[in-house]
Amino acid sequence: MANVLEVQGLSKKYPKKDVFAADGVSFSVGEGEIFALIGPNGAGKTTTIRMISTLIQPTSGDALVAGHSVVKEAAKVRESITYLPDEAGAYKTMTGRKYLYFMAGLFASDKETVEMYVRRAEAICGLGDRLDDKIGGYSRGMIRKLLLSRAVMTAPKLAIMDEATSGLDVINALEIRKMIKNLAKEHNMSFLLSSHNMLEIEYLSDRVGIMTKGKLMVTGGIDELKERYSAANLEEVFERVVLENEVR
Amino acid sequence: MKFGNLLKKELGELITPQAIVSMVFVLVLFVFMGQIMGTAMEESMDTSTITVCNRDDSDFTKSVLDKVTKDGSVTIDYVDIQGEDYAAELERLDIKNSVIIPEDYGDSILVNKEPADILFVSTVSTGGFSSSMSSLSAGDVISSIQDVSTDEILLRTYGLDDSEIERVKTPVNLIEYTVANGKTARISSTALQAMMMMQSMIAPFVIFFLLLMAAQMIMTAISTEKIDKTLETLLSTPVSRLTVLMSKMTAAVISALLNALFMMVGFFFYMTGMMGSAAEQITGSMDAAASAGEALSSAQAMAELGLALSPVSYLLFGLQLFLTVAIGLAVSLILGAMATDVKSVQTLTMPIMIAVMIPFFITMFLDMSEMSTVFKAIMFLIPFTHSYTALTNLMNGDMLMYWGGLVYQIVFFCVCMFLAVRMFTTDKLFTMSFAVNNNGKKGGRFGKNQTPHEE
Repeated sequence: MANVLEVQGLSKKYPKKDVFAADGVSFSVGEGEIFALIGPNGAGKTTTIRMISTLIQPTSGDALVAGHSVVKEAAKVRESITYLPDEAGAYKTMTGRKYLYFMAGLFASDKETVEMYVRRAEAICGLGDRLDDKIGGYSRGMIRKLLLSRAVMTAPKLAIMDEATSGLDVINALEIRKMIKNLAKEHNMSFLLSSHNMLEIEYLSDRVGIMTKGKLMVTGGIDELKERYSAANLEEVFERVVLENEVR
Repeated sequence: MKFGNLLKKELGELITPQAIVSMVFVLVLFVFMGQIMGTAMEESMDTSTITVCNRDDSDFTKSVLDKVTKDGSVTIDYVDIQGEDYAAELERLDIKNSVIIPEDYGDSILVNKEPADILFVSTVSTGGFSSSMSSLSAGDVISSIQDVSTDEILLRTYGLDDSEIERVKTPVNLIEYTVANGKTARISSTALQAMMMMQSMIAPFVIFFLLLMAAQMIMTAISTEKIDKTLETLLSTPVSRLTVLMSKMTAAVISALLNALFMMVGFFFYMTGMMGSAAEQITGSMDAAASAGEALSSAQAMAELGLALSPVSYLLFGLQLFLTVAIGLAVSLILGAMATDVKSVQTLTMPIMIAVMIPFFITMFLDMSEMSTVFKAIMFLIPFTHSYTALTNLMNGDMLMYWGGLVYQIVFFCVCMFLAVRMFTTDKLFTMSFAVNNNGKKGGRFGKNQTPHEE
């Protein structure tokens, strides 16, 4: 399985801060793989994700997305990824459908491709006729579904999602998880997720990376980690890794 | 294609149906207000119907009142006010004011040879513009009664004819010359200044509204994107950050110009509605004098003194106006990108508001050339000062000041754009923040370069 994402010693230090927000983070995500970054608040997950999404520049290290460097070829990287930030909104004055057309127009220049992207998103989001309503009138769940369908409509090589199901009720969250799993399996799409929800990660991910204090402490398959830490579930693995590092 | 897509989206966000409704509303409001003010002024100034209670049946008084109404500009409504309870009497007669000529008016003047009394009773209503204007026009009629009374005295007591009376009353003729731009023209400086003000006062208003509008728009556009995190989504798409930046600025310029257009058309109607009669009076009297070969008309005088704007001057003023908006946008863009919540957007608007307002009021009410050097230097450091003074500089032919201001603005704009582009193409867009704390204190994270979602 070829790697869609190769993260190599990625570090970020914000000016006037003593500690690294991300410190020598290295991991990889294979084609069709779902990889999750988990960690407590302030562990450096979002910073790492933002560097891979080309939103902020690494202080040192690099990440290759489909072979392109986030430092040297940011524009190329952006053609291969989509990014869904945590608690992201959408333009309230647009209708859902207009929003999809607008976003599709940023990824493709020809009408046919734009149409294809929008049709795909329409099918995935399941919002039906509500797509013709203004986004300002949408519930949080509806906005999240719209944004998720937007994030996958271009069939990116790597979809980066920060708290993919945040703010969604159980039914909606389940639907989204199934959708992500299906896209990875059927369409060979790779996902880089970040979440606080261990249950979700355990259900979704092929592999996880546990971060704390800016460092990636451990990576591995769910079962592999459970076995290594003699834990019954991912929550216990997470607790042990975090505590172990706090003691140190 | 992608720029067009982005521009369409930005314009859609700025020019919403609500925004168009408010633009049309402002236009209609201005036109409506202009009409009301104009009608009030015209009614009170033109008709000049005056209520008079004439208690004197002497021949002298009758003759005076006949002469006052002779040229048709004044009509007199005669009423009978009894006693001295004027409040009750005005109410009974349903009138706002009245001139009362006492019964001994004629006798006082002609027989007793003493100054005669004339009474004027008027109602003060709660700040009504129209009622104060009607008192003013009544004042004119009273002056006219006094004037005609003098004529009558000169005629009846001293036996002077019309030409002799005129000579006695105006033994001196005032011939006014005005100097400007090193040239001289035969015109009253007061009248000329009034004309110049009417021509140039619209410009600061255009600049003022245009700037505030554009600044507000771009700040809201950029800060909303940041707060809603749509900016992160947008900047992770295959579109260059400069394209995003330019689409926002272009949309703000288009939208600001549209707003300014509506506002200025409205303002123009307001001014012409309200000032119509006043302007007619000024130019009318000047042009009448010109046709009599005594003085120049306003337009002639302005052309002769080099105060009239040439097409090139208009073009240069337009250039300055464009640069002004561009600076406003660039500064707002930088400030807007620092906002992390709605409260901080309001706080960040303040510096722009102050920089726009201070020179607006100072250039409107004070003469910059009479200020101290230090104060002048401070004023010239504010880039918008040059926008407000541009038109006056062009009118006065002060090209050194104009070009100096323009060059300073160009430099200022380049610095701002450099900072804006740098901010947009680096981490700073996400790391610089200016938040207002919960307890209302500002500057919580300003300059600390920390992301609000740093994890």
